[in-house]
Amino acid sequence: MATTTAALPARATRTFRPIWAWYAALVALMAWGLGAWIDELHYGLAATGMRDVVSWGMYIFTFAFFIGLSAGGLIMASSAEVFGIKALRPLSRLGVLSAAACVAVAALMIIPDLGKPIRIINIFIHPNWTSPLIWDILIITVYFVFSVVDLYVLQRQAAEPSRWRKVMRVMAYVGLPTAILLHSVTAWIFGLQIARSWWNTSLMAPLFVVSAVLSGTALVTLLALCAERYGKIELAEDTRRWLRGFITVSLIIDLFFVGCDYITVLWGNVPSDRSALNLVLPGGPWAWLFWVEWIVGGVIPLAFLVVPRLKKLPGALGLSAVLVIVGVYAFRIELVVLGFVNPLTQYPPGNAVGTYNPATSSFQLIGRYHPTWVEIGIVLGLVALFAALVTIGYKSLHVIESAPAGEHRAKAAIAETTAGS
Amino acid sequence: MAAKNNYVPHHVMVVDTNRCIGCWSCAFACKQINNEPLGYWWNRILTTAPNQSTTAKAPASDNLDVPWGTYPDCELAYLPVACQHCNDAPCVKVCPVQATFRRDDGTVLIDFNRCIGCRYCMAACPYGVRIFNWGDAQYAPGGVVGYGKEYWTGDRLVFTPERPKGVVEKCTFCVERIDVGEEPYCVVACPMGARIFGDLNDPESQVSEFVNSGGAEQLHPELGTNPNVYYLPVARRVPGES
Repeated sequence: MATTTAALPARATRTFRPIWAWYAALVALMAWGLGAWIDELHYGLAATGMRDVVSWGMYIFTFAFFIGLSAGGLIMASSAEVFGIKALRPLSRLGVLSAAACVAVAALMIIPDLGKPIRIINIFIHPNWTSPLIWDILIITVYFVFSVVDLYVLQRQAAEPSRWRKVMRVMAYVGLPTAILLHSVTAWIFGLQIARSWWNTSLMAPLFVVSAVLSGTALVTLLALCAERYGKIELAEDTRRWLRGFITVSLIIDLFFVGCDYITVLWGNVPSDRSALNLVLPGGPWAWLFWVEWIVGGVIPLAFLVVPRLKKLPGALGLSAVLVIVGVYAFRIELVVLGFVNPLTQYPPGNAVGTYNPATSSFQLIGRYHPTWVEIGIVLGLVALFAALVTIGYKSLHVIESAPAGEHRAKAAIAETTAGS
Repeated sequence: MAAKNNYVPHHVMVVDTNRCIGCWSCAFACKQINNEPLGYWWNRILTTAPNQSTTAKAPASDNLDVPWGTYPDCELAYLPVACQHCNDAPCVKVCPVQATFRRDDGTVLIDFNRCIGCRYCMAACPYGVRIFNWGDAQYAPGGVVGYGKEYWTGDRLVFTPERPKGVVEKCTFCVERIDVGEEPYCVVACPMGARIFGDLNDPESQVSEFVNSGGAEQLHPELGTNPNVYYLPVARRVPGES
């Protein structure tokens, strides 16, 4: 107890200023987001960069991205139990917290995308059960409620390990399939659509699951590293090794799946598929996505994860986690936007745009899309909301023993918390 | 046919691409009758090669009316595309709130009062015929008002000249006209008589003849959407014959 009482005031004085600056920055971003949304409500979705050809944009690919991010925490917490990976157990609460925050932010991301947000009530009055969207809303709700309950269970379990142990195990076994279902249903929003060959592949659900594990684990790794940096607790070497292993394996599978998709399209050479892939391959107008996905988010992090000399560098794990997340975001952009950019009908003049601009044609053959500041503001506001939820949640959970440096420290920390509560 | 009680016609449109000259009269007539704001096109005319499916060939140009090939071996045809009113419509399947629905006569309509503006239908439509109300509707000064009234089918608001911001709309087969026995306005407006509208349940009708024995084809039949809009393929002249 002596060490704790000595350490706490010191930490409080040291982190007082930075944390308020952090909160102020988050509040400023959220205020910007709210202002942008009010602007959008006033002008309609004309305030965004979306038009009739590219009719889904930043909100939807960021939504899909956050759904993916929510995977890591829950899958990690569940794997710790289901597969008995002890090293990941300390990250359970942090993981489930980030899962709950991510899925909440993902659900909110849909609201500004709706033309008539007030009518969202119609989803409950007149649900159409053939629509993947209804099932997605259902599974998102289930997943969010589950994460919150799981967080409560984990919190109680930390205080009374023997009493809540069984409940925690049951939650873990339910959590894993729920997480996989969430990503599959979200993938089916796209994958079931016959209209766009870019989306219409049975690979979509597996690809979503693996990229979700990839980006989600990377996010939890980042959060754990932040906790280590600012919370003054050390990650065990074993925990690091498991995190690195999860990221490496899912990154390799992810790139393999995307590669399978590319080779199928290239070999088959079906015009509508090829025209979509050509947009993103080197030389195409969206080739930057290819480079971000394969080099920035693929080869470089892989090198820092597996090359012995590189992976020993101090920031290697954190750097690869950041790069991997960037790569998965690029993949989400590629997935959603290119489905629209690739023309449905290859014939001029293409599709109507839906708004009038005297300087340009009312039609587009190949879709164009740039997010506007309104979209960027709303998305950044919601990212700030996520950061705030995680910060406040982490602080109020007192996840002090979450990442002990070793067995001795772990036992000591648990003993301390148990004694304290 | 008269003997049948509660007779529901099956509305079908056949477009004779042999006759289409790409004049856009149908598209402009559509804009007028439906009071479509600037930038909205429920109906558009694609420049194609004869009898090309919509994905078989790269476009000759981004511009209208540019033929394929080099002079003198050029070819050019037109493909007027509006809502295909599919019998198995992807938009109806994906709409989370049943705002897009199919009437018994085969017409696919949108309830302006129910649509939440999620635009999933626009992602799901293989023909790209749906238009979203992105912002406040803009009109050219002195434009024609057209039908100018709300139209309800049952308790569904399926047409309104006052466009609500944030909902999806598209070709309605001029539901307000066909319900009183008139033809869709594009059919009336076509100077070449390239559009034929009628009842597929009536074996005597011209559309029945084209669909059942006249070789009328659907757009993207491989997708299984089974549209109620058919196209008569261009009959090529064989070189040497007159």
